[in-house]
Amino acid sequence: MSMRGRDRVAIVGYAQSPVVRSADRPLGALAVDTARAAIADAGLEPAQVDGFVGATLLPSSGGHAVTDGVSVVSADWLAARLNPNPRYAAGFQGLGQIPGSMAMAVNAVATGAADHVLVHRALHNPRGSYHATSASEFGGPMQWTAPQGFFGPLAMIALTYNEYVQRYGASREALAEVVVEARKNGARLPWSYWSGRPLTTEQYLAEPMLDDPICRFDCDIPVDGVAAFVLTTAERARDLPHRPVHVSGYATGGPPKRRLPAHWPLDDLMAAGAGMAERLWASAGMGLDEIDLLQVYDGFSPLVYLWLEALGRCPVGEAHRYVRDGGIDSDSADGDPVLLSGGSLGNGRMHGVPQLLECYLQVAGRAGERQREGVETALSCHSSPHLGGALIYSAEAHQW
Amino acid sequence: MTAEHPLPHRPVPVPDELSAAFWEAAARHVLTLAKCSVCGTLTHPPDVVCDTCGSTDPRFTATPVDGRGVVRSWTVVRQSFLPGFAELLPLVLVDVELVGPELDGQPDVRLVGRLLDGVDAPLAAGSAVRVAFEQVRGDVAVPAFELAGAS
Repeated sequence: MSMRGRDRVAIVGYAQSPVVRSADRPLGALAVDTARAAIADAGLEPAQVDGFVGATLLPSSGGHAVTDGVSVVSADWLAARLNPNPRYAAGFQGLGQIPGSMAMAVNAVATGAADHVLVHRALHNPRGSYHATSASEFGGPMQWTAPQGFFGPLAMIALTYNEYVQRYGASREALAEVVVEARKNGARLPWSYWSGRPLTTEQYLAEPMLDDPICRFDCDIPVDGVAAFVLTTAERARDLPHRPVHVSGYATGGPPKRRLPAHWPLDDLMAAGAGMAERLWASAGMGLDEIDLLQVYDGFSPLVYLWLEALGRCPVGEAHRYVRDGGIDSDSADGDPVLLSGGSLGNGRMHGVPQLLECYLQVAGRAGERQREGVETALSCHSSPHLGGALIYSAEAHQW
Repeated sequence: MTAEHPLPHRPVPVPDELSAAFWEAAARHVLTLAKCSVCGTLTHPPDVVCDTCGSTDPRFTATPVDGRGVVRSWTVVRQSFLPGFAELLPLVLVDVELVGPELDGQPDVRLVGRLLDGVDAPLAAGSAVRVAFEQVRGDVAVPAFELAGAS
């Protein structure tokens, strides 16, 4: 095998705050505490952490003010409070913040730009309506959509998903299986906003539409929450307390076909997603058949179908059948537990954190009661297949 | 069909150098697409670089099209996050691929706007529509669609 960058960098520790509707402290305070806990979990001191990577998107289309340390937490802001002289501090721009940030951190460690990099994501639920705006005019890209009434992510995903429904005949009962599975797994997590609160199929089916065919339960709920992960070289990782989880490869979405803002035609999404998947397998030097655990992103429930199909878990147009009859049931021996993490639907709007966290915990052997046998490799994804990305992890380092 | 009643509270577009010609034509209820002066490709919306030929000086011109299209998707919006839309709910948004002789051989051009026929209108993937305009202010009209029927 060729010598490539894969497996040279490992995740060596983590921490996550409780995921709540509204934290009783500012987001920045939560982020500093969570970062310190992650660094301690990795067996390190803050002074040893010389790299910081994060993303600051507050994914609201409303007119909320963005204040660093309050509604978002940037890598620079966090670095200033943990190690004021970092060798590397950088922010990821764009969607797929988790694979995007992790890729930057992996590259920083692999090149020696930093020895220990902290990757964090801090999500905030602003007061008032998440998306509503009182804007009376729109310039820039939104001039092409908002005056016509096309605004916000609900309409965005509703158009994409209805295109899927019309083309492939997907039923509401099938999507109920996705949401109920996410909420079942999320209900078992002590840190989750939905802890102890599963959803029944009947509750899902009784829920009225918001933007047909999307209802409230198809959308993750905005929360306050922070997660942090520490990365270093595979060599250093061997001397740290926890079993290292190597980053074997990653891919992020390419520049998509130019469209109206928040317009995601199904064919655009799947074409770019296929390219993303090819880059992912090439990056990791392995294919889907070598992945023991797949964790798909579900910030909107239909994204589960699109990820399963983009990654080749089932043929295009078949995911709504794949999830039926226990197909993704984490409690079934035959189930493919792609929402074992609880996902965003079962945790709250933590973006791709639940998928990354579950892969880390399972490969590191730290998943406690949820620990599954024989998880040596795992794959997590975030956002959509055309704009987001994915990561592959391995217990063993193969290439360095 | 054109919406008759001005809706003063709806947000309006702010034209810029690239979009001014589109909105000027829309005010006259004419749908235009941006034509690259180098390769002749029609696109929407215009951008600083032509997607097709890569020209950094595309000098787009607003070219009238007949506004026929095919519905690729739709949604019924039951909760709007924008001012001025509450009284219009529920409303239908359609994702339309424009068709017509001007677009032969062109990359697909898609617009999203209201379907003015209402939520009970029969709608399917592939339904034929044509552009209509909503007069959102005395001097501002935005494109929408209506079912084209069998004609």
